Amino acid sequence: MRISKAALLVVIALTVPILVELRTVLAWVNVELTVLESAVLGMTMILAILIWALWPQNGRGDPSRSG
Amino acid sequence: MSNVYIDQFPAEAKVIRAAFYSSFLALALGGVFGIIQTLHRTDFLRFMDSVDYYTVLTAHGVFLVISFTIFFLVGIFTWAVTTSLDRGLEDIRFTWGWYSLMAIGITMTGVAILAGFTDAIDMSASVLFTFYAPLQAHPLFYLGLVLFVVGTWVAGVDWFRSWWAWKAENPDERIPLPTFMVLTTMLMWYIATLGVAAAILLFLLPWSLGLIETVNPLLTRTLFWFFGHPVVYFWLMPAYMMWYVMLPKFSGGKLFSDPLARVVFVLFLILSVPTGIHHQYLDPGIAEGFKFIAMTNTMFLLLPSLLTAFTVVASMEHGARQRGGEGYFGWLKALPWRDPVFTGMALAGLMFAAAGFSGMINAGMNINYLVHNTFWVVGHFHLTVGTAVALTFMAVTYWFLPQVTGKALWSRSVALGQVVVWFVGMTFMSNAMHRAGLLGVPRRTAEPQYEGFEFQAAVGSIGELDAQIALGGVLLTISLGMFFANVVGTALNGRSDDLPANEYAGALSGPDDAPLVLDNLKLWTAIAVVLVIFAYTFPLLSIIDRGGLFGPEVIPFPLTVESATTLGFALETAASTSFESAGEIATSALTAVMR
Ligand code: HEM
Ligand SMILES: [Cu+2]
Repeated sequence: MRISKAALLVVIALTVPILVELRTVLAWVNVELTVLESAVLGMTMILAILIWALWPQNGRGDPSRSG
Repeated sequence: MSNVYIDQFPAEAKVIRAAFYSSFLALALGGVFGIIQTLHRTDFLRFMDSVDYYTVLTAHGVFLVISFTIFFLVGIFTWAVTTSLDRGLEDIRFTWGWYSLMAIGITMTGVAILAGFTDAIDMSASVLFTFYAPLQAHPLFYLGLVLFVVGTWVAGVDWFRSWWAWKAENPDERIPLPTFMVLTTMLMWYIATLGVAAAILLFLLPWSLGLIETVNPLLTRTLFWFFGHPVVYFWLMPAYMMWYVMLPKFSGGKLFSDPLARVVFVLFLILSVPTGIHHQYLDPGIAEGFKFIAMTNTMFLLLPSLLTAFTVVASMEHGARQRGGEGYFGWLKALPWRDPVFTGMALAGLMFAAAGFSGMINAGMNINYLVHNTFWVVGHFHLTVGTAVALTFMAVTYWFLPQVTGKALWSRSVALGQVVVWFVGMTFMSNAMHRAGLLGVPRRTAEPQYEGFEFQAAVGSIGELDAQIALGGVLLTISLGMFFANVVGTALNGRSDDLPANEYAGALSGPDDAPLVLDNLKLWTAIAVVLVIFAYTFPLLSIIDRGGLFGPEVIPFPLTVESATTLGFALETAASTSFESAGEIATSALTAVMR
């Protein structure tokens, strides 16, 4: 893991404000997302974060123990 | 002997515990009413009559922003004074005295509010926490509030007594930072509460008792906001205190600057009160010039909050680097995210930054017209008092509760989950509230949907906003449930010998770097009083001049043709005199400027 489990939890929580505000921002450039599309986008973001966080760092063994 | 607070100050720990539990009871009640009104407004679940909506909303407001916050903060203030002066309170019976006053007072107020739900007792107080006339409450409501506030006054005397006794023994020492924060906050509070004391004792209580027939609603409103703005700093300054003296400790470092912290609290003392009129930008009967002065003061008040943001983030970065954090942003990873006390406070601070932005919009006189009394405002203050303050208080509970009970926290994981769920729930709820407000959706409304009229949403729809608000409300309620599980679980735990010592963060730049004048409380109080006199004398005089001390002449009711003509005449004269006096003010201002 690249970051601690707790930090991962916080990062995932932070996607929520980004997601809800992104919907408003996108509307300005005439991209109107439905609730479902937003939810899918959110899931994708969270999935990407999970992959990033869980992907082994440069092939090193288990870096979570290195702190 | 261990270094846990309860072992150092067993008698004080008991009082603090009582204050905390009173505060949590209020939080629980307030939370229940919160979710009821959320589901009612958004039309997901309506099991009560809309007529009762104001009773629910009054209970929600009063229990949360009067009893939850203030009971909690007298607890941590008592901790701060005793810990930083390293001495017990002078007389613990005195301390129980003010606690009892507060408890009795809020019980009276609470009974008056809750009695509104039943017709069995002829009593109600569905006047919302702002109790604007002509809404009238049972006298018990006002009396209870008076006792409660007097209780806080006496509490302040208690802390001042500690400080005086300490000063006699340590004449040449600087006031320790936590005590300094308590004292400046209380001085601000004494000035601020004069307004609400006057509103209640001179007008609203006699009126509710039937001793006087009418009041001047603009006058009592203005006196309310004289108190109503600074009261937000009464909630916020204890939260700031936690960010200054506790957050650096949990980040693993020290406070960046003690002098800067003192400057911030002095600025709050002098600038909190002369700004109240910014809640009345839309009140007719107060001249624009006075509103402009209030706006200017308000903008200055942003300064201490920005200073706080700087100091707190700098302290966190220092802590993270002490723990081995590196890089421009890499240090963020080194922060103790696993600790619910830290994470809760950090998330609360983050939401407060967002609240600062919507606050600036509220504060601007012209743009305020767009959002005044809409749901936007509710979104704003659920970020400030409802998160920056409430979430900070809940987070530090996870550290304080073991200190004052001597018992280990029931579950750190549940605690961490709780603060994160609060953050997510509040994001959903307050974002949708802000956006609904921009569409003109009003606050304080049981059924904000009207026949033959549709709010036009720019993005999404009203239905979606409602759903988002309800979703947020449900998450917040779940978060509260997790919080209480932890409080109860901790209370049921046995005594633990393995608790952290009672201490607060040191400072990188200590009190010796702070100019002596900062500790001159008399000077700052005097300046605060002068600013209040500048900001309020003329508005109050002109309000009384126009509307009368006890309101205008009583208008006979029901209206007859005769009385309608009198009314028309009265309105006409009122209008022309107000034009005249506005003209006079303008002329005198002009001559003053030209001279
Ligand atoms: C479970 C969490 C909460 C929920 C679901 C909730 C929900 C709401 C809603 C929907 C309103 C607006 C009602 C209206 O204007 O018609 C409201 C008002 C309010 N809330 Fe909350 N709230 C919560 C927590 C809090 C907290 C923690 C605080 C403060 C510490 C707070 C303070 C207030 C105040 C002062 C009002 C305004 C009352 C008034 O207009 O008189 N709320 N709340
Ligand atoms: Cu204000």
